[in-house]
Amino acid sequence: MSQSPTFVLNVLETPEDPEGSQEPSPYDESEVHDSFHQLIQEQSRWVAEEGLELQQRQPETGALGASGSDHETLPGPEGAPVYSMATLRILASMPSRTIGRSRGAIISQYYSRTVKLRRRAGRPQLRDVGRSARPSLRLYDLELDSAVLEEEEKRGLLVKELQGLTAAQRDHMLRGMPLSLAEKRCLREESRPLRGKQRAERHHGLLSCCDQLRDSCVLASHNLGLALLSGLQALMPWRYALKRIGGRFGSSVLSYFLFLKTLLAFNALLLLPLLAFIVGVQAAFPPAPGGPVPAFTGLELLTGGGHFTHSVMYYGYYSNATLNQPCASPLNGSPCPPEAGSLPYNMPLAYLFTLGAAFFITCITLVYSMSRSFGESYRVGSASGVHAITVFCSWDYKVTQRWATRLQHDNIRTQLKELLAEGQSRQRPQSACGRLRRAAVLGFVWLLCLGTTLGCTLAVYTFSELMIESPVSTEREAVLLLLPLVVCLLNLGAPYLFRILAALERHDSPVLEVYVAICRNLILKMVTLGILCYHWLGRRVGTLKDQCWENFVGQELYRLMVMDFIFTLLDTLLGELVWRLFSEKRLKRKGKPEFDIAGNVLELIYGQTLTWLGVLFSPLLPAMQIIKLLLLFYIKKASLMANCQAPRRPWKASHMSTVFVSLLCFPSFLGAAVFLCYAIWQVKPSSICGPFRTLDTMYEAGKVWVRRLEKAGPRVSWLPWVHRYLVEDTFPIYLVSGLLLAVIYLNIQVVKGQRKVICLLKEQISNPGSPAPRTHSNTIAVFSL
Amino acid sequence: MDKGHREQEEENDKDEYGMATHSSILYLQEKTTVGRVMLSVNPFRDRICRVFSHNNLFSFEDVLGMASVFSEQACPSLKIEYAFRIYDFNENGFIDEEDLQRIILRLLNSNDMSEDLLTDLTSHVLNESDLDNDNMLSFSEFEHAMAKSPDFMNSFRIHFWGC
Repeated sequence: MSQSPTFVLNVLETPEDPEGSQEPSPYDESEVHDSFHQLIQEQSRWVAEEGLELQQRQPETGALGASGSDHETLPGPEGAPVYSMATLRILASMPSRTIGRSRGAIISQYYSRTVKLRRRAGRPQLRDVGRSARPSLRLYDLELDSAVLEEEEKRGLLVKELQGLTAAQRDHMLRGMPLSLAEKRCLREESRPLRGKQRAERHHGLLSCCDQLRDSCVLASHNLGLALLSGLQALMPWRYALKRIGGRFGSSVLSYFLFLKTLLAFNALLLLPLLAFIVGVQAAFPPAPGGPVPAFTGLELLTGGGHFTHSVMYYGYYSNATLNQPCASPLNGSPCPPEAGSLPYNMPLAYLFTLGAAFFITCITLVYSMSRSFGESYRVGSASGVHAITVFCSWDYKVTQRWATRLQHDNIRTQLKELLAEGQSRQRPQSACGRLRRAAVLGFVWLLCLGTTLGCTLAVYTFSELMIESPVSTEREAVLLLLPLVVCLLNLGAPYLFRILAALERHDSPVLEVYVAICRNLILKMVTLGILCYHWLGRRVGTLKDQCWENFVGQELYRLMVMDFIFTLLDTLLGELVWRLFSEKRLKRKGKPEFDIAGNVLELIYGQTLTWLGVLFSPLLPAMQIIKLLLLFYIKKASLMANCQAPRRPWKASHMSTVFVSLLCFPSFLGAAVFLCYAIWQVKPSSICGPFRTLDTMYEAGKVWVRRLEKAGPRVSWLPWVHRYLVEDTFPIYLVSGLLLAVIYLNIQVVKGQRKVICLLKEQISNPGSPAPRTHSNTIAVFSL
Repeated sequence: MDKGHREQEEENDKDEYGMATHSSILYLQEKTTVGRVMLSVNPFRDRICRVFSHNNLFSFEDVLGMASVFSEQACPSLKIEYAFRIYDFNENGFIDEEDLQRIILRLLNSNDMSEDLLTDLTSHVLNESDLDNDNMLSFSEFEHAMAKSPDFMNSFRIHFWGC
């Protein structure tokens, strides 16, 4: 209809006032019907008088937005046909333009949807498409225009259809209807099945007491379900706190705290199997103490050594035998221990398998949550349309404080200006000289940042070598805190340096700046952790040959975690509180410091990586992390409320949460898994402590057990078979990887196809009615894929 | 709902949008704390009130309806439907250029944006979302544009109670 003729309406309208209009809105279908009837009469009169001469009116230049003019057509740019208010109202009720605007249209739309649901009609067959290039909406069984039913009749039909659905479907349908709550309640009351009443009438009250019993049971269970649901809602931690944060600072800062909550859940998921199968069992059957246990001094909380060394906290405490073993052969002269006869528990096997299972569950959960948030936040074709999204989606309705809304207005203003500037600069191509200069500056800054990272890495390496050279006696355990101190200082100072260097380069888009900053910080942290891992597994294993090196590594990770927590506190105190006081009193600046979302999230990811690295050597480390996260939540919240304001940069909260979870999965969890695999498969465990002290590698515990099962008999022969052909053989791994690659390729092709279909359909919408044979055959070809 | 809601009718209370704000002030009582959920900082408060009220009055069910549409569990189609009604200032069933300009001015909370910036922005929005080239956004076009954006569900949310 792009070349539809324009015509002038002579429909008399009431003069319109800008607010609180008196004119009939399209929500009243009868008014629209009347005006449509009037329109037809006017037109037929006009045609009879003047003869059929439909010309296209020239667009008049002039100001826009003269709403309420009655005879004149509104001028528009590029000669697009524009209509007056009455025509617009009629057009608005046409199903081809706006579906479901009026109440009657909504009811009939949902009536046909319910019918379709009941009949389970799928997509129309290709042969029914017909020769028109435009997919006709009649195929989808929408608005009935042939029989103009009254609204009451339509409503009755809808009620009848709703009665035919199941309860869950009916509720789902009602919930999605854009009607007022009172009407939905009426519809639900009317469409409730009357089976109870009918049955009572039929059996004359003989079964009425059974019906009453059943009804009261149903009611009681319903009430119980509601009570459980509300109890569950109340149990969710920090509901009110999160609501306050969202109301004052918006969605982007809220995403940090939601990420914290997610990490808490992951740690709880990791801790539960460990507590149940490793820590609890060993605590119930403590091994014989090896020597005198040192007394508790306060330093253990920082260093993790001393009194804590011989406790369930570390790897060295766990025994390498089968606990609770019934005595097979009575020793000479000594009776069997009285607890014999209960279930024997193979500790090394339990240690290995519980860790493996916990990591596997964490991996699956991470990948699932990452794919789900990816699916929610990235859509096909969402790269375009950024102006519309900014205009319609940038106002955060959550915000309820006046000063926060003022900030939001400023943010939106900046965002819109930046968008327009970006568009303009894209139109103006830069000169080659300018581009070269920018590339040179960018390369220089990156070089400086990578140099800083290298410097930090070298510092950590030299310091760690220094610590190896000078062995530490048990009295001077505080010296062990130096390495974590150095690492944390570098992790604190280098990001500030990166921020200063980033001021040199000027990016066009602020979102890119944020991503680049995250990238640099991430590289620094991961490289530092890599050096430390080499230091532990490569060097410490060699130098601590006769001692329990696993305990040492566990204690190192404990120390790193504690230091990291202390430095986060310091950063919060200095970076936020002291900076605010300083800038208010000395610099006399009004604005509070911004809450640095990226830096804080990277801190969380770093802490979680430490937990995952250390869980093999210290099974209680997730519990430490849970305590740390709980404290961090309250401290960060207090500091945020008192000292900070929301960041000025535009943050797409949905994209950010996807980025956080992906960062958690890829460098962080993957690195920890690689470290763990190497430690289990390649490193020789120490021979004096731990559950694997007599073996060559930790993995051998599994192999030993499988060989024992092979000798045990034919009943469990499938397990050794599985182990030999599926685990030890490399072919299944290739098969699984091949399958995974095939699935990924398929998904990529599907998305490509969807993009193509979207383009074709957009073309059809903008040129309907022009049967372009090439487009048509393309559509057929695409549909028949 | 187990938490009590009460409407407070304050007569003769108009704000700069000329709309009586009595229907936009709700009191929420939650056990011992009395929180005040004010829509009065929202730049679209008059439109929200108009869309959800019947005959300029808020009944309890209208409040519930508004809370359910803005809640986290509302389905996207419902939110998009009501968002379209809210953004359609002149209630002609379309979001045309005049509506877009009013939306932008409300978002910026000022009336003095330069004219060419405004027209530039509206033309960009229409270029992106207007599929049938009629210089207006119909409901389907709006729905298509919002379905592409995952931020819509996030931002079109008001926490009345709970999270």
